[in-house]
Amino acid sequence: MKGEFALKLAYTVTWIIQLGYIGYLVSRYKRVCEEMKDLKRTGE
Amino acid sequence: MKLVSKLFIALTLAALIFAAYQGLFVAPTEQTMGNVQRIFYYHVPSAWTAFLLFFANFLSSVVYLIWRNQKADAVAAATAEVGVVFCTVVLVTGPIWARPVWGIWWTWDARLTTTLVLWLIYVSYLVLRRYSTGTQTSVLAAALAIFGFVDVPIVYMTIRWFRTQHPSPVIGGGSESGLDPSMWPPLLWNWLAFSMLAVILVVARYRLQRMEEDVEEQHAQAALRGSTR
Repeated sequence: MKGEFALKLAYTVTWIIQLGYIGYLVSRYKRVCEEMKDLKRTGE
Repeated sequence: MKLVSKLFIALTLAALIFAAYQGLFVAPTEQTMGNVQRIFYYHVPSAWTAFLLFFANFLSSVVYLIWRNQKADAVAAATAEVGVVFCTVVLVTGPIWARPVWGIWWTWDARLTTTLVLWLIYVSYLVLRRYSTGTQTSVLAAALAIFGFVDVPIVYMTIRWFRTQHPSPVIGGGSESGLDPSMWPPLLWNWLAFSMLAVILVVARYRLQRMEEDVEEQHAQAALRGSTR
């Protein structure tokens, strides 16, 4: 593997991991918000 | 979202872009490795940030064990998870850097192996928290976190204690080691930017943890109301 390619790959993979985690948090947050709405609806 | 939060996120984004620019274009090209050495500006700050997060996890676990404080437990969960993300970056960027420089992706030397063990400890911590259903889950997780943290200073010291494939310490490694002064600003900018990103992720994960606990409690109360009718 060439150095230039490795450099680009390392920076890209870092951001895939970080953005993947942010996406995971957002999806979990949406799920919890929906559950909270359901709980409020059923509690009324 | 509060104005302060928005401002902090905007500052973090600016810092991340500026730090990447520093690492890719401003930092000098290393003489023997060439441009691939610029991975250093993501690899090392990610490791330092992961260590800080695991230290925060250790402290909050101690606080939880002493005072049984639910907020401390939520901080522990958040810091461990974000720490694992940064540790994953270290474990992925390391082999990508190693392949063109050492000619191998991986070797079972002390630094690499203890870092992998560190990652496995905190992944097992997260698995315990996710899948254990008993009432003692938080206590067990806190105990695991305290013992698990012992590996952090071991990882740090391995390249001082042993001759390893991994390079000897460049920073704080004695009179014959040292980083070129012009490499310090890109390194510190990247560390600052990653630390700011870590703060945002920990706060978001902490809030999520508290919301999930709230939902769980409401489910339990609803079930209780149903059973008493």
